[in-house]
Amino acid sequence: MKIDLHNLTIRKAHAAMKAGEFSAVELTQAYLEVIKAKNKDINAYLEVFDDALDQAKAADKRFKDGTATLLTGIPCATKDNLLIQGKIASAGSKILADYHATYDATVIAKLKNEGVIFLGRTNMDEFAMGSSTENSAYGVTKNPHDLSRVAGGSSGGSAAAVAMDGAMFALGTDTGGSIRQPASLCGVVGFKPTYGGVSRYGAIAMGSSLDQIGPIGKTVADCEIVHNAIHGQDGKDSTTINDSTYKSERIGRKKPVIGVPKAFLEFGGLDSSVSEAFASAIRSFESKGYEIKQIDLPNSAHALPVYYVIMPAEVSSNLARFDGVRYGLHMDGKDGIEDYFKTRRAGFGKESIRRILLGTYVLSSGYYDAYYNRANAVKGLITQDFNKAFESVDLIATPTTPSPAFKIGEKGSDPVAMYLEDIFTVTANLTGMPAISIPCGTAGRDGKQLPLGLQLTARPGDEATLFEAGKEFLGEIQ
Amino acid sequence: MITVKDLEHLAKLARIDLNEADKESLVKEFDSILGYVDQLKKVDVSMDAAGRVGAVKNVMRPDVVESISNMDRERLLDEAPDREGDFIAVKKIIAQD
Repeated sequence: MKIDLHNLTIRKAHAAMKAGEFSAVELTQAYLEVIKAKNKDINAYLEVFDDALDQAKAADKRFKDGTATLLTGIPCATKDNLLIQGKIASAGSKILADYHATYDATVIAKLKNEGVIFLGRTNMDEFAMGSSTENSAYGVTKNPHDLSRVAGGSSGGSAAAVAMDGAMFALGTDTGGSIRQPASLCGVVGFKPTYGGVSRYGAIAMGSSLDQIGPIGKTVADCEIVHNAIHGQDGKDSTTINDSTYKSERIGRKKPVIGVPKAFLEFGGLDSSVSEAFASAIRSFESKGYEIKQIDLPNSAHALPVYYVIMPAEVSSNLARFDGVRYGLHMDGKDGIEDYFKTRRAGFGKESIRRILLGTYVLSSGYYDAYYNRANAVKGLITQDFNKAFESVDLIATPTTPSPAFKIGEKGSDPVAMYLEDIFTVTANLTGMPAISIPCGTAGRDGKQLPLGLQLTARPGDEATLFEAGKEFLGEIQ
Repeated sequence: MITVKDLEHLAKLARIDLNEADKESLVKEFDSILGYVDQLKKVDVSMDAAGRVGAVKNVMRPDVVESISNMDRERLLDEAPDREGDFIAVKKIIAQD
């Protein structure tokens, strides 16, 4: 039978497998066929696992013996920086090209318990540093909506895999927008949880105070189901929180109140297609009974400069572990210390080297106060603005990106031009707040319709309001 | 702004070999990025709002050795570029006279 993958959701697939309309093996085969047909052009997957059908057979058994859960037999893709025992996890880098994970990440272990099918690992910017996957050591991922454009990044492979119907959902990581920005550019839903909501154990670290693992899916409900399965406190990640860590009371009586930071949007420099789509999204919320308020986030204009101090500082220490001694690439020099120099030069790509050096600079004596301490102080001011705004609203709406997907190579020469992609997403990482990107109209370019995204941010711990508003916006609840 | 000599020092601290072409392009990129980041110097931070994000606190755990299975030990050692028995092999650090 032919399975309509494009309109399939987790709940529909679960019902169909339970009713025996198709099996997990058949569903997995359908995805593998799509991958075979499309991946050579799109390059969403770096590897398709050869045991996918075996996993599906095990899932079918669970349907027979009655132990199947909502996620049993659901095929997914995982970003190349998430550890699955025995599989390669290269983080898009040459330095880990042959590295086989020695244990399961917590999120992987949780999904394995559910009986999820892991189809393969997806392309990404090296160590999650970038907004286009152009920094991958394994070639760029192309946007399924226009192959001359980027899929976004750094979780570009995960977003493209879902957008091309090559997986029901995918896991990504988000340090400054790396789940939400590619989801926006590929026309799918991307969700970054509250900091600490999901264990980072087994995710290859980039900026540890900012990184979170989250789902990319076609619907908000699918992302909610996956998040519910992977979140929770974990002894192996001391920064994880529990469901009662944050208490929040909603302002809106019937519907959440949505805040719009008008001045910040103007500062971000919106493409006209994006302002139109955003305005129409706000009108749609109004027509559904949501109250809209103007809010002010004066310090958000400094969010990107803050990010480009704190993140490279953390990158420089996190990437210090790649020394060619315990695992990964090793290049031989005349002595031990020369081994380090040669290994790291040969293994790291240009952007990684740039950020390691930048981080070393902002942390070095004489500059620490001027850069790192100051950036942390401004981060505090940004968080204060958000907390103040959340005294009168429940959600904050912005576009996810200032413009639709750009051409491959378009932002190659100037790093700052690429960094500006994250202007609206990076605040959620700096403040630790949950945020979601949902599809919101399209922009016409060269005869093609490119997806746009709407971003909603909520108080820490208030994922529920994000999911509720997201589902209502996309018409997922009647 | 930043000089080639500064960059060489940073590369030494970070243990990365740089060639002349790398240095030349990195100096320019550093100028562009630091020029952008320098706007932070104008922000009034006298309010000292600097603090932790959310309710995250330091979490302590007892410093005890936990045993791992032989299989896990093998898996870990197998990833090392060079090993001798149950040790990871590296080059001699102290030179002989």
